[in-house]
Order: sequence, then structure tokens, then C-alpha cells
Amino acid sequence: MKQPGAILEPRGRVILEDYIVDIAWAPDSSRLAVAGGEGKVFLATREKDRLDSKIVGDHGLGALAIAWQPGGERFASSGQDSRLLLFDGTGNRVAERRPSMTATACVAWSGDGQRLSSAAGKQISLWTSELEPVHVFEPQAATITALAWDKSGRDLAASMNGGLVVHRIDPPRFAVRYYKWSAPCLTAAFSPNGKFLATGTQDGSVHFWYLATGRDSQMRGYPGKVDSTVWSGDSRYLATAADDQVVVWDFGGKGPEGSRPLQLRGHTDRIECMAFQPKGNFLVTGGRDWRISLWFPGKSTLALDAQLTDSEPSCLRWSPDGRFIALGEQRGSLSIFELVRIV
Amino acid sequence: MATTDRVPVTVLTGFLGSGKTTLLNRILSENHGKRIAVIENEFGEVGVDHQLVIGAEEEIFETNNGCICCTVRGDLLRILGQLLKRRDKFDYIIVETTGMADPGPVAQTFFLDDDFKKQFLLDAIVTVVDSRHIEKHLQEMKEPGEQVAFADVILLNKTDLVSEAELERIERRIRSMNGTARIFRTRNADVQIDRVLDVGAFDLQRALAVDASFLEPEYPFEWAGAYLLPAGRFTLRSGHEPHAHQHDHHDHEHAHDDHHHHHAGGLGLAIIPLAAATDDGLAGAIEPAVRAFAEDPQSVECGGHLVPHAGLYHIDAGHEGSHFDLEIARAGAYALFFEHAPAEFDLRIEGAKPVASRTFASHHHDNEISSIGISDPRPLDPQKLNDWLSYLLKSRGADIFRMKGVLSLKGEERRYVFHGVHMMFDGQLERPWPAGATRQNTLVFIGRKLDREELEAGFHGCIASP
Repeated sequence: MKQPGAILEPRGRVILEDYIVDIAWAPDSSRLAVAGGEGKVFLATREKDRLDSKIVGDHGLGALAIAWQPGGERFASSGQDSRLLLFDGTGNRVAERRPSMTATACVAWSGDGQRLSSAAGKQISLWTSELEPVHVFEPQAATITALAWDKSGRDLAASMNGGLVVHRIDPPRFAVRYYKWSAPCLTAAFSPNGKFLATGTQDGSVHFWYLATGRDSQMRGYPGKVDSTVWSGDSRYLATAADDQVVVWDFGGKGPEGSRPLQLRGHTDRIECMAFQPKGNFLVTGGRDWRISLWFPGKSTLALDAQLTDSEPSCLRWSPDGRFIALGEQRGSLSIFELVRIV
Repeated sequence: MATTDRVPVTVLTGFLGSGKTTLLNRILSENHGKRIAVIENEFGEVGVDHQLVIGAEEEIFETNNGCICCTVRGDLLRILGQLLKRRDKFDYIIVETTGMADPGPVAQTFFLDDDFKKQFLLDAIVTVVDSRHIEKHLQEMKEPGEQVAFADVILLNKTDLVSEAELERIERRIRSMNGTARIFRTRNADVQIDRVLDVGAFDLQRALAVDASFLEPEYPFEWAGAYLLPAGRFTLRSGHEPHAHQHDHHDHEHAHDDHHHHHAGGLGLAIIPLAAATDDGLAGAIEPAVRAFAEDPQSVECGGHLVPHAGLYHIDAGHEGSHFDLEIARAGAYALFFEHAPAEFDLRIEGAKPVASRTFASHHHDNEISSIGISDPRPLDPQKLNDWLSYLLKSRGADIFRMKGVLSLKGEERRYVFHGVHMMFDGQLERPWPAGATRQNTLVFIGRKLDREELEAGFHGCIASP
């Protein structure tokens, strides 16, 4: 019997000569903004089977994050040089800020594209879509490791050692709620339906809260730090990764508590990156074993397992239309693949 | 990932003013061919061109619900993770900690995170010590002691600011706290780079260097000298005589005097007849000397009378120009067993030089940090050893800063080598014992409030039944 499978067709490749730290798709799925580990910021354009790129900016000592404005023509990058850069959709720099003297590690756009947030050290800043300052929050208790907006664009979560903080953005008021958990929290992820807030921790667990009641729950037993937590577009699945293990929790039905998660076995070395298809729920994972794996929705079976890179994969992002996968590598290759066939 | 792919990391500690930044600048400016990335917790004077220097704010993460042994440095986790994305730009990392940093969480950062274990290789913890102020710092604060205790390499720096005798005293004290570190005396942190970089202190494949004298039992004396003396009267002198001063120590005499206040009760001295004025002769006198040091001491004022006998003198030798009358009734070999090293008090018999001498492990315990070494040839039972080490780490992990060992397991041709930082433990079977060589278990613990009897009893419980 023939195994079911998928085919990824190459749709362009370009060498950026920088460690690809982060990739952000434009809403039209035709352009990508890329942050490089040595500091460069690139804009890549996809045309049929070709990919072109240009350098549009530079963060001394390394770029750390990049994010494209939802529904808009702006993207923002941040880096070790503490700067926050704003570009238009053709790569022209339109604004620049330095929120503090330390590295600006995170940038995140609200779902409506109206607000941009950044985190540098313990400080969170809020900006307009044109990088005009809106608010600077009181310093947090610890250095912020991740920022995430809920879909409504009202709540901004930040993870840190000791838990998460959520700011309700309702200017001029900025109410705050704390979700305490005594571990170094590495990620922040709202479920798209706004019901859950999840985090992965340094000590090998996933913690999540029911936002309606504040009740929390912990999932333990990971072999190491959980530095990746991604929700499927329909909020049904939370994929988590630690070391070489991918664990998918099903939030449908009675929820994940008491149910057995899916364990996706295949990678033989650390998971470096993963992403859920916006619609369709295919999960793509990339490992230090140089393997790219595509997993059937809600199943622990592989639709594809291939070596598609010349070095260790470092970043995977689905295009907003769910057709393409952008694959970044440590050695700087940026490739686009199209999911064309499910056999 | 192969071991060789791992980026070596040197952790540089040292109290404020010790010369840590001088050492860092020296390393960065030297032509060693390494591309070094520096993570700095203090923004000092480092300003060498083309060097990758990243500032970090010290942040302690407690994992596993706040267990002290599982604290790591969150700032390092983050920055090292980011540095990996620029690996092509450097091949060595130096982490410079603040003067007040506890080296524990820094070291543990490299053990607690599995990912980091694969990416980085903690090479060594290098501690720079300000010789002039270390004794005061050890007395007043806990951090300098911890920095000494955790070190694999210690630079006794600013040696030009203390006398030779002070330096010996300091070195012995540091050696008593940390029995395994390599100690180098330096001025202006001037040291060969290969003594501080690529040391391989955490590399199980490299043999553990353990100071042989350190593994000896602790004796109540630090020095013994054998003399061949004709019958007659001699003058035993101690302290520097101003007119006979050989070295230029005047600047430091004040500090020197300060230190001696606690010796008001006199210094222990035993004068014991020897079978021969040789190393063997001295070794044979150790036991009588230990018995002598257990006797009630007889106090002798300056100018007093001394004879070889089975008891203990407390001589008033703690000030300039002390002298005593030593009467030798019969020509022969004699040993002086002295509580301290003679250089510290300039102890000497006028007109006679020791023909053999020996130093013994120091026995200062005033700062509660110490090293305890265990050496035993009997093979160990692996299961019992495992149980004991697990128990030890659980119950005493917070107080044990470092431990290292090379062990002989029953029925095993290879050496079992291990090291640990607090509760983190790493051990494996390594090279076989050389054919025909005597196998020897060697363990060293460095920590606070260590109990030798407890450790020895635990160890003896692991010896395999014959």
C-alpha cells in the first residue's frame, strides 16, 4: 500500500549570506522580510519560481526580530544595537527609534496592524504603525523573552522569568494582569480564539491559562527547555517542541487535560523551528538533523520528510495564504516551497 | 554534534580591582589567532577594535522551583543563544562576570541546558585575585571565597604589592580552599595566554591535575626542615631584623603586622631528633611530630630556651627580631616542625641550613570554604558509588561547589572520570589504566562546611568487597 504523502515544489531560492534568524511574510504572500544573525535586514520578493533579495537595513551586532504589519505595507525589525527600524513594503526605511540602551529583542504587531510593540530588556514600548511613541510601560520584574498580541489587538502578553504579564491596551488606560508561574518562561502564545494563553519554560514544561477564568494547567515531562509553542489557526492544536520531540496538544473537545498528546517522532536532533499552516493545520518542523518534516493535521504521521537545506534549518514560516513555506537556513539560504500535492 | 564543534567558554571572575579587566584586555590584544566574543557584565575599559563585546545585565533564573543548585544565568542563556547565530565570526567566548558574581549559576548555565551542553564547552573558570586585599575580602564577604573555590585557574595578581612571605601565606590559604586549581603568580595580570584559555578543565578526556601535597591528610604543621647540627648552642631567629632586611618590604609592614595579631598565643614548634637528615628521615618523624603537636604547648618568650624533645613549644615569634636559644646536647640530625611556613616568619637557625625540607597542606579553616581530597587504591563498587554520589548531591549539593575525581571501579579496565558543579554531575569511563600501574581513586571536593569524616565514611562505604 502506498504511504500517503505530500510534495513540496521549490519556488525559488536566494543566498543571503547571513544566519536567518526570523522571516516575516507580507500579507499578499509575495514578499518576505528577513532578519539576519549578523545584523542585516533583507527584503525578498517572490516572482513565480524566482526569489530576489536586497539588503534594506542593518542592526549592528545582530538583528533579533522582524514582523510585518498585518494587512499593511510596513515591517519592523529590531536588534542588538537596541534600534527599532520601520520599513515600507518596498524596503525604504521610514522611521527609526531607540527605545532603550539595551538590545531590542522582540517586536510584535497587533492583529489589526494599528499598534507595534517592542521589548528591550525589562521594558515594553508601544508605538503607532508609523513608530510614533504611544506608551512606555513600567519596567517588568525580569527581562522579556517574548511578546504576543491576542487577535483582537487589545491584549499584549509578555513572557519572562516568573510568568507572563498581559497589558490591556485601551488608551489612556493600560490595565495589567499577571499570570505567575515560577519558572523562566520563554514563549508567549495566545490561541487565535482568545481562550488560552500558553508559554514554554526553561525547565521543560508547558503552562497555559484559561483566560476567562484564570485557571491554569501545566504539562510536564519534556526532555529540555520548551522554546517553541505555536497554535493552529483554528485554535484546536498547540504544537510544542523541546529537544528532538514535537508534542501536539489537542484543545478540541474536553481540552488537553487528561488527554494524551500527539507525539511526533522522526527528528533525531533538536527542533530548530516549526509552523502551523494558517488554514489546513499542516505542521512543518525543521531540525538540527537537517530534516524538514510535514505532519498531517491532527495526526502523528508524516506527509513528508526530506532534506531540503544545505545547512541546519533556522526558520520556517507559512505564507498567509497557506500555499508556501519559507525556509531559512543557518548558512543564509532562503527557499520557498509550494505545497502542491497531497498524494 | 562532535565535541570539537563546541565553542569553548572561559568564565572570568574576580573581585573588583583584582585585575580582571586588565587580564581581559591582555587576552584581547594578544596575537593568539582566536576570534573572541566577550560577554561583559561590567562595562569597563575594554575597547579593543574589531572585538565582539556584548553587555549583559546579570539575571538569575531559578529553575526546578527555586532549588539553589539549579540556578542559571538567564542573561547568559539569552545572549549565548543569540551569539550562536554569529558563530562564523568567533571561535571562543569569554564571559566576564561582575566582581560580586556568584560563579555557581554561571557555570551551571552550561550544564543545565541540554542544548547548551551540545553547543558550548565550558573550558575553565579563571579567577583573578588581588593579592594585596584578598585576605581582607575573604574575611568580610562571601563572594571572593566562592570565586576562589569555583576556580580552575587562579591568578594571584598584584604580587608586586605584597611581600614574598605574605604571598606564600596567601597562596597556602587559597590552596586550602581550592585544592585543585592551578595557581599562577602575576603582576598586571601578565600570564601566558595558554594558561587561561583552552585549559580544558571540564574536559573529562584530559587528566585531572591534582596537587599531590593537597591529598595528604591535614597536619597541624605546614613545614618541616631537617638539620645536621653539631653539639652546641644555636640561635633560632624569626621575624625580619630591620638592619638585616634583604627585601624592600617597608611599604607593606603595616599590613604584615596586622596579620600577626592572631598569633599572640605563640607559634607551634616541635624539635625532634631524626634517624637521618634526609627526606626519609623527615617522613619517619611525622608521626612523633603529630603526637608532639597534640601535647599541651610550653610557651617560650623571646630569648627563651629550647631543646629537642617530644613536646610542643609555642614560641613568641610573631614580631621583628625574635630569637631563641637552641641547645643541642648531642651532634646529629634534627627536625623542626613548624606550624607555618618558615618564610612567613623568616624562621631560621643561625649558621645552619636545612638539608631537607617538606611542606604540608595548610589547615586554615577560618573562611569555612575548604577542599577535601580522598585518595585510596581499593577498587569501588559502581552501584554503591552511584548511590553515595546521588545521596551526596541531593543532601549536600548546595555546599559542594565543585567536585572532581578519577576512580577505579571493580572489574573495569578504564578509569571512571567525573566532575560536578553543585548538583550538576558529568561522568564517564575514559582511558584504560596503564598496564602495571597502581590504580588509585582520587576524589576532590571543594565547598563550604565540608565534613571530612562524613565524606571519608561515605567513600569507604563504596569500596567493593574483595
